[in-house]
Amino acid sequence: MRRFCLLLSFCFTVLGFTAQAMAGGIAFVINSAGASISVIDMATQKEVRRIPTLREPHHLILSPDGRSLLVGDTTGNQMMFLDPNTGQVQQRVPVTDPYQLAFSPNGKFLTVNGLARNQVDVYDAASMKLVKRFPVVATPSHLAYSPDSSTVFVSLQDCDKLAAFDLRTMTPKWTVPVGKTPAGVLWLNGKVLVADMGTDYIAVVDPETGKVLEHVETGKGAHNLFLSPDRKILWVNNRAGGTTVSMDAATLKPIRTYAIPGGPDDMDFAPNGKIWITRRWAEKVAVLDPATGSFETIDVGRSPHGLFLNPRGPAPTVVSSR
Amino acid sequence: MGDPFDLAAGWMQENLLIPMLYQFGLMNWEDVSYNWAVFALYGAAQVAITFAVCLPLEHWRPVERWPDSKAVVVDVLYTLLSRVGILPLVTYVLFYRAQVSVSGWMTDQGWVPPTLEGLFPVLLGQQVLTFVLYAIILDFSDYVRHFLSHQFRWWWALHSLHHAQRQMTFWSDDRNHVLDDLIAFVWFGVIALLIGVPPLQFPLLVLMLRFLESLSHANVRLSFGWLGDRLLISPRFHRAHHGVLGAGDRSCNYGSVLPWWDMLFGTADFSRDYVPTGDPSGEEALATGTWTQQQMAGLRRFARTFRRAHVRHGA
Repeated sequence: MRRFCLLLSFCFTVLGFTAQAMAGGIAFVINSAGASISVIDMATQKEVRRIPTLREPHHLILSPDGRSLLVGDTTGNQMMFLDPNTGQVQQRVPVTDPYQLAFSPNGKFLTVNGLARNQVDVYDAASMKLVKRFPVVATPSHLAYSPDSSTVFVSLQDCDKLAAFDLRTMTPKWTVPVGKTPAGVLWLNGKVLVADMGTDYIAVVDPETGKVLEHVETGKGAHNLFLSPDRKILWVNNRAGGTTVSMDAATLKPIRTYAIPGGPDDMDFAPNGKIWITRRWAEKVAVLDPATGSFETIDVGRSPHGLFLNPRGPAPTVVSSR
Repeated sequence: MGDPFDLAAGWMQENLLIPMLYQFGLMNWEDVSYNWAVFALYGAAQVAITFAVCLPLEHWRPVERWPDSKAVVVDVLYTLLSRVGILPLVTYVLFYRAQVSVSGWMTDQGWVPPTLEGLFPVLLGQQVLTFVLYAIILDFSDYVRHFLSHQFRWWWALHSLHHAQRQMTFWSDDRNHVLDDLIAFVWFGVIALLIGVPPLQFPLLVLMLRFLESLSHANVRLSFGWLGDRLLISPRFHRAHHGVLGAGDRSCNYGSVLPWWDMLFGTADFSRDYVPTGDPSGEEALATGTWTQQQMAGLRRFARTFRRAHVRHGA
C-alpha cells in the first residue's frame, strides 16, 4: 500500500510538472537595440533567457508550416530561424536588410522590406530564393497582403506614400500619397488601412486605385494596427499619444482608449483575452487587460519591437540557444 | 528594472523629443531621436564622470600651471559637441545609414559582410567577450589611422588642430577638425564593413574606453607604473605623443587606449617625461582661436598643402 501511494504520488508529481510546463506558453520579444530576443514564460510573465542575435533585429514571423519563427536581423543581414516552441536556433540565412517581413496568405511568398536599403524583396517561401526586388523611393516600413495573395501593400515611411505590387505579374501597381509618415498597414473588409504616424488618423485606401477614401481619427502618431483573433476589434497603437485604441472593425468607430506610455508598437493576442504590447522606450512589454484597462509589465531588453506569442508552446526553460 | 540610462532616454523621448517631432511633422526621425537620446545621456555621463575624476587629479598633481585657462574653454565646447551634442546625431544618421546601405549592397553581390561571430561561431552568445575583441581590433585600427594622420602632409594639416593645444587637459581629447572627424568616421565604417561592428550593446564599456582616452590627455603627473603603462595608456605615455618634439612625423605613442601597438611596431617611447605640448609650426589661431577660427585655420593649412603640391608638380 505504501509503495502504491508513493507511486501514485510520483505520477501526480510528474503529471503536475508536465501540465505546468505544457500550460505555460512561450513568448518572444525582439530587443532591437539590444541585439537579442527575450524568451518569456507566458504563465509567469517573466523573462527566462535571452537569445543573442548578430546586430539589430526588428520583426519576426511564423512560417506557414508553423515549424520556424523567422527573425530578421537588419544590419546583420541575416534571417534567423528559431524553433517557435523552444527558441533553439535552427539556421541562419544571409538576407539583405530584413526589416519587416510577412508570408502571403497562400504561403507562397515571403515579402521582406529593406527599410534602410529602400527595397521590397519577394522571396519564394519554400526555397528562400529571391524572386523579385522592387526598388522603392524611400524606407519601406510595414506591409500587408490582399487575402487572395495577389497584391502586397507597403508603406513608404519617409515619402508619405503607400505602394502596391502585383505578385502575379511581379510588377508595381501604384504608389500614392496617403498621409504623413505612414507605418502600419492592414487589409480589412476589402480596404487597406494605413496608420499615419505623422498625424492622428488612419487612412482608408481603395486597394484597386490607391485612392484615399477617408481618414479615421485614432490618436496622435497612429503607428500600427492589428485585428483581434475574432476579427471584430481593430486595435491601433498611437506612438506619439502613448495610447492604444480599440475600434469596431466593421464601422471603424472608436470603442475605448487605453493609456500605454513608452511608445506602444507591436501587439499580439493571448488566449486569456489579454493583449501584449511592446513599449519601445520603456524596455517593457505591457500585458493589457482590455476589460479593466489596467496593464502589467514585463521587463525586457532595449527597444523591444517585434512580438510573438506561442500559447501552445511549452513553458521555456533555460537552455543553450546556440 | 531596466537600464537607468535607457529609461531616462525613454523619458526624454516621450516627453520632449516626440512631442517636438510630432509638432514639426518629423515623426520619421523618431528612431533616430531615441538613439540620439541614449547616446547623449551616456555622453553626458561620460563627461560628468571624466570631470569628477580628472579635475581633482589635475588640481592634485598638475604637470603645468597656467595664469589663465582661456584656451581650455573651447575644448569644453568640442567635448560637449562631440559627446552629447550634434556629433552623435550626425554620426548615427550618416554612418549608420551608409553602413547599412553599403553592407546590404555587398550582400546582394553575394558577399556577406563578415562579422567576428560569423568567422568564429564560438563567439555567438559570448557578447561581452565579443565586444572586448572588437574593442581591441578597433583600437588597433585607430592606431593605424592615427599613425597615418601624422605621415601625410594634408592629413597632418587637419590633425595638427588636435596637437595645437598648449594647455592640454582632459577636455582636449575631442578637439578635432571636423574633416579629421569625418575621415575617422569613414575609417571606422570601412572597418565595420570588414569585420562588422556590434551595436551599442555595452554602453558602459564604451563609456569606460572613452574615459581612458580623456584621462590620457589630462594635465596630471600620472603614470600607471612600469607594467601598468604597458597595459593601458596613461597620461604620461600619451603626453609624450603631444610633446612639442613629437609634432609632425617625429611623433611617438600613437595608441588610444592600448599601448600594445606602439610596442609592437616600435613607435612606443616610455622615456619622455611630461613634456610641454603644442605645435609651434601651426597658426596661433589653431591653439587659442575660437572654435570657428580653429576650424578655418585648419582648413587653410589643409588647402596650403595642396597648393604646395601643385606648385611642386607644376615645377
